[in-house]
Amino acid sequence: MSELTVDNLHLKYGDNPILKGVSLTLNRGEVVSLLGPSGSGKTTLLRAVAGLETPHEGTIRIGDKAVFDGSAGTDIPAEGRNLGLVFQSYALWPHKTVFDNVAYGLKLRKIGSDEIKTRVTNALGQLSLGHLGERFPHQLSGGQQQRVALARALVYNPPVILLDEPLSNLDAKLREEARAWLRELIVRMQLSALCVTHDQGEALAMSDRILLLNNGRIEQQGTPEEMYSDPVTLFTADFMGSNNKLTGRITEVRDGTALLEGDGWKLWGAARQSAKTGTEGTAMIRLERIRLTDGPGDNRLEAGLTTSMYLGDKWEHLFALGESRLRAYGDKPLASGRHWLHVPRESLWVF
Amino acid sequence: MRTAAIAAVPRSLTILVTAAAVLAPLLLILYQSVLTAPFFDARKTLGLGAYEFIFADPDFWQASLNSVVIAAAMVIIAVPLGGLLAFVMERTDLPGKRWIEPLILVPSFVSPMVLAFGFVVAAGPVGFYTVWVTELFGGAPWGIYSLTAIGIIAGLLHVPNVYVYASAALKSLGSDVEEAARVAGASPFRVAATVSLPLIMPALLFAAVLVFFLGFELFGLPLVLGDPEGHLVLSTYLYKLTNKLGTPSYHLMAAVAICIVAVTFPLVLLQRYLLQNARKYATIKGKAGRMRELPLGKWKWVAAALIGVWLFVGVIVPLSGIALRAFVSNWGYGAKLVEVFTFEHFQSVWDEPILVRAIWNTILIGTVGGAIAVACYTAIGFATHRRNDGWSRFVDYLVLVPRAIPGLLAGLAFLWVFLFFPPLQPLRTTIFSMWLAYTVVWLAYGMRLISSSLMQVSTELEEAARTVGATRGQISRQITLPLIRHGLIASWLLVFMIFEREYSTGVYLLAPGTEVIGAQLVSLWQGGAIDVVAALSLINVVLVGVGLALALRFGVKLRD
Repeated sequence: MSELTVDNLHLKYGDNPILKGVSLTLNRGEVVSLLGPSGSGKTTLLRAVAGLETPHEGTIRIGDKAVFDGSAGTDIPAEGRNLGLVFQSYALWPHKTVFDNVAYGLKLRKIGSDEIKTRVTNALGQLSLGHLGERFPHQLSGGQQQRVALARALVYNPPVILLDEPLSNLDAKLREEARAWLRELIVRMQLSALCVTHDQGEALAMSDRILLLNNGRIEQQGTPEEMYSDPVTLFTADFMGSNNKLTGRITEVRDGTALLEGDGWKLWGAARQSAKTGTEGTAMIRLERIRLTDGPGDNRLEAGLTTSMYLGDKWEHLFALGESRLRAYGDKPLASGRHWLHVPRESLWVF
Repeated sequence: MRTAAIAAVPRSLTILVTAAAVLAPLLLILYQSVLTAPFFDARKTLGLGAYEFIFADPDFWQASLNSVVIAAAMVIIAVPLGGLLAFVMERTDLPGKRWIEPLILVPSFVSPMVLAFGFVVAAGPVGFYTVWVTELFGGAPWGIYSLTAIGIIAGLLHVPNVYVYASAALKSLGSDVEEAARVAGASPFRVAATVSLPLIMPALLFAAVLVFFLGFELFGLPLVLGDPEGHLVLSTYLYKLTNKLGTPSYHLMAAVAICIVAVTFPLVLLQRYLLQNARKYATIKGKAGRMRELPLGKWKWVAAALIGVWLFVGVIVPLSGIALRAFVSNWGYGAKLVEVFTFEHFQSVWDEPILVRAIWNTILIGTVGGAIAVACYTAIGFATHRRNDGWSRFVDYLVLVPRAIPGLLAGLAFLWVFLFFPPLQPLRTTIFSMWLAYTVVWLAYGMRLISSSLMQVSTELEEAARTVGATRGQISRQITLPLIRHGLIASWLLVFMIFEREYSTGVYLLAPGTEVIGAQLVSLWQGGAIDVVAALSLINVVLVGVGLALALRFGVKLRD
């Protein structure tokens, strides 16, 4: 069953369109990430769902209730939507203790103080904050503040929980731990979550589905694997993962493959919809898909090594191919000079 | 760039001069208060006779009581109104907010002496509005000379002081904490009551202490409005004491001054403590998102009407009173505006060399004097900028000292400084004496302007200059100073307005050569020259108005 449905949502600030017809569904127990570069409208979309921004067209339904309907003039205010929202800044109320921060939503729902105590204690316990109830927000670490913000949003059992860049205020190391912890929590509590992030790694790791936004529109949506391994557009291919990009001319398209020719090189790759014979084309391949080989062969390139970088678990080698630069991973350092690189056909996308 | 010289003044010299300018007057008052006669009197001896005298005077106790009553009335009136006003202006969709904002701040830029005089000619027993209302309805249901009236008027005039702090606190309150409450299920009014207001409580508390403190400083209002019924407050008691014994009674005045400072200084320290606390409380990192304004609906008209009434009483009544009075030859029951219209009062101002000089001096002290004052404040600002040592803390407290000394006392103290130190005596009858007193009295205000400019320069910009090899002095001259240029010009405009407005500091320093409009008004008022006072007041308001118009034109923030 779908917990949240957004249909053809349009929103603008003044004359500046931010959302240009966005649709999405969020099913029960599912985590959907809104991914995109800054300015793509992902946070605006989240805030519109929460009722903090007013769209001018489209519908937003929570369960089977319309909370916004542009044509019918429905616009239920934020406080009437019964959603949970975790702010990027956490937005904990500095004059309330952790307990009171979490209890506030229950008080507003006129719940008896005994039950409030039980439910808040329970929520804090679930997020391992049990001992911090009497503290004030400024006495907590960043990670603890984030969990309080989460507890505050979860305690009244909203049908959908909205997360606005939930991990961006944490240190890099802490962020990876928190990511795993958050994913586990969402699955364990069977939450339906809509999460905004600009970090593709975070989106891949945490979500069941990803919606990639670009300039107010949904560029592509799908499971993390689909988004990563089968990008439909150049934008999606480029936004996900670390990539090598080569530009040239498409000289042949046949059986779903395309031949791209550049200055002294030719490569076959999987043709995407936009690939047409005789046009300028762009080929894209993930760094980890390029392999170093000993000599010439099918779909191979010869390029000069510019430099190598040690990354700890592997080496990253930088090659020059005319004006283009190619990067590839290897498990050992390379001698300077020219090397052969294998570019598998099925991993090279030609747009 | 000539201003570059400011940043080159040695730090120790700056601090030393500041300390001398601030502490000498205070110490002199303290010294005078424990003498049994004026310091120039050969028969003076050390003793507490002055204190014994004033403590035995029932008028002193009555004046103290009146000061407390008026200050308390001001807090009771100004704090709720100012807080409410700030909420309406910052968080609701009240129409016309853009042009209401500068109007709200007008009472804090017009001299209280002028406003008090305006109330007399507009709403006094034969004021314009009193006469009109009486002719229409057969009676006017108000009086402005009672203690209650003074308290109410003073309270209404100090609403802007509370408004400034409350609205700044509301502004710095990230809207995300309010949005979080909305999402959690709170209605807009619930949000205001449970989140917004509790979070600005520290700011309101600070404003309350500030207003109470300003109540003790009050001089022009009780001088003009308290006189007819003989209500004295501490400052007017001190002023009347000047000739109480027939001879200069400096020792008695010093004793009263010390009593006033004994109240105000702890209040200033309390303000400092509260402000620091409020800042600590307000370290809420909110995303400055687009704030959805609270729709007022039909309450819009109630709010607009309340603001309208307040602006009418606090701004329009006194200012229109002055404007009218300056152009009529006489006024009373039966008089018609068209028949009594005249330009004579301005002619008599123009014919009186002293008054012409007062106008020129006032302009001079605001423009040139204001610029030099800003230069001094900047030098002090640089002496403590990004330095966290003992000297910086010393200067921090040093600039607080003049804050605790009301202008009237400061002027008196500087008079004594100029009389006490023979080398300074020739300067006594030059405008320099007036300028020095003004600059020291407004030291804390000026330093706040400068340091808020300095704080806007990101530390990294200075650190970057340091890493490429600039010395501290070079950084100040070549990086920081150019970056705060606009802030300095804005400060100059604000200091100009404050110096045009100032009146109490000059009361005792007034002498041939040092005339300024503010102090001249006090002296003329005592002499009963109503016509000239009206004309001069209008000129004063116009001067402040020019500054205000320039400030608005160039987008200077009227408050920090």
